[in-house]
Amino acid sequence: MTTTATLAPVSLELRTGPRHWWAGFRSMITWHLVSLRLWLVLLAVVQVLSGVGFVLGFGLFFEQIPLSVALFVSTGVPVVNLVMTGMVLGPQLVADQKASHSFDFIHSLPVPHTASAAAWYVVCLIGGLPAVAVSLAVAVWRYDGLPLAVTPDVAPALLLTAFTGTMVGLAVAHAITSPMVTRLVTQVLVFAMFAFTPILFPVEQMPAWLGAVNSALPLRHMADMVRASLTDLPFENLATSYAVVGAWGLVCAVLAVRALGRRR
Amino acid sequence: MPTDTAMAFHAEGVTKVYADGLRANDALDLRIAPGEVFGLLGPNGAGKSTLVKQIIGLLKPTEGTLRIGEHDLVAHPEIARQLCSYLPQAQMPIDSFKAAEAIELTGRIRGGDRATVRARTDALLEALDITQWRDELGMKLSGGVKRLVGFAMATVLPGRLVILDEPTNDVDPLRRRLLWEQVRRLGDEGCAVMLVTHNVLEAEKSVDRLAVIMDGKIVAEGTPSALKAADRGQLRLQVMLSPGVETPESPEWVRHPVRVGNNLVATIDEDAASAGIDWAVGLMGQGTAEEYALGATTLEDVYIRLTGHASANGEDEA
Ligand SMILES: Nc1ncnc2c1ncn2[C@@H]1O[C@H](COP(=O)(O)OP(=O)(O)OP(=O)(O)O)[C@@H](O)[C@H]1O
Ligand SMILES: [Mg+2]
Repeated sequence: MTTTATLAPVSLELRTGPRHWWAGFRSMITWHLVSLRLWLVLLAVVQVLSGVGFVLGFGLFFEQIPLSVALFVSTGVPVVNLVMTGMVLGPQLVADQKASHSFDFIHSLPVPHTASAAAWYVVCLIGGLPAVAVSLAVAVWRYDGLPLAVTPDVAPALLLTAFTGTMVGLAVAHAITSPMVTRLVTQVLVFAMFAFTPILFPVEQMPAWLGAVNSALPLRHMADMVRASLTDLPFENLATSYAVVGAWGLVCAVLAVRALGRRR
Repeated sequence: MPTDTAMAFHAEGVTKVYADGLRANDALDLRIAPGEVFGLLGPNGAGKSTLVKQIIGLLKPTEGTLRIGEHDLVAHPEIARQLCSYLPQAQMPIDSFKAAEAIELTGRIRGGDRATVRARTDALLEALDITQWRDELGMKLSGGVKRLVGFAMATVLPGRLVILDEPTNDVDPLRRRLLWEQVRRLGDEGCAVMLVTHNVLEAEKSVDRLAVIMDGKIVAEGTPSALKAADRGQLRLQVMLSPGVETPESPEWVRHPVRVGNNLVATIDEDAASAGIDWAVGLMGQGTAEEYALGATTLEDVYIRLTGHASANGEDEA
């Protein structure tokens, strides 16, 4: 061991500007990815169950599943895959860290809050996109002649869906001060996503009032966006869907970043 | 690094009242110069972590200012996070990180280049004698090793002010010594170091100055020898009581008696040395005590006098 190597390289410069932001963004992607290492197996299992599981499982309800139903389910499942990491796993992780006060250290790192949130978004994409691909591939393999029609809109639809899911999750994780409440809200969200949201079944099959509630919430519109980009089914109010999902994403992003910067 | 007094840390009138009305910090004034290791001592709940969290921007002061040089840390928490590096009292979130990975990544996040960070990580692992765990996951590390990894994370690329909230918790005596050496070295290289600790005797050897804080107020501040000056002409009398006995009445000239477990510690005047011995021997004769020791006072005795508490680990190396 040389003496020079133990010399502490004291950081003297104040770092600001886009290069500082970018450096923080990149290093936080690695940080977040490594943080998920222990959850990777769980995440993979959940993604497979809620993706491939639904795609195949729905087929079991029918002797001969109508292709229209198969198409509906197969194009709803990507939404579930995309929001799983950001909206479900993320808040649980943060709640754990807050409950044990180990979030204090992360909070003390010299990274702009926007860079940290953006890095988390990228990580959620990494946790979701492969699952989307696998779910769709399994659907094509299982259902002969599935009329998928992938359009270029798939990029904005998937990216925006993951963005809003992630930002809702960040807001739930940080704008809510009590980790217990965060956990509770997350669990309610998962439940509501599967049971009371027209992602895997058409909105016409739920009571009108529940459909109306869903029109103000992002999940239903995410499903419309994604479904429109993967099929040639007609959708009338796609612009509204993009607007609603985008608005939810933006509002939650602002809430989350402000909450990250809040000192008690 | 040249010591740059323009970058000294200042706290003025720092007051923190929590939402429930508890005044955890009450008009604290402190100054730490670059190159200075400053100890912050005080019993549980004194308000040490509260102060530290305001510096790093986890809490907002109710009143008062915190500065490093011209930089206002309260108005600009993002600057505070760059100028300060921080080891929290709580556990580090590194369950899924390998030890070396956690240290290197922190260095990268703090803006270090790859080569520097890697060299410094290896050097710290070596210096703290934890190289054998470098590729072990955080969740598998023992409490003490995890603490040392946390220390390395906080100091891999230290800021102008390095804040260490009880760094030696759970660390074995030998590695504790290695850690103190690194703390000393941070000071030598020009960092201001704020060191929160319960370990008075070890702090005495490592800090340049210290403050004792009680109920949110500073009750004493100075160099270790200046603080001990008031105890000149005093001796420390330590009586090992028999297990289970009630604390015996002590004569008036036995000052600040504090019992920790079966250990009764007090100070007496040098003139009263023989009376003290007689008293202790008398206790042994009654079966109340098993042994005694009379010696020079230490910073521990000053601390006991000021706070009425014995320090946490003060005795376990004796
Ligand atoms: N978030 C909080 N809300 C209300 N009171 C708090 C909060 N955090 C700490 N306190 C109270 O403030 C006081 C000071 O706490 P602090 O954690 O600063 O003490 P400390 O000196 O670091 O103690 P220790 O040596 O045990 O770490 C304590 O009475 C504590 O109960
Ligand atoms: Mg504390």
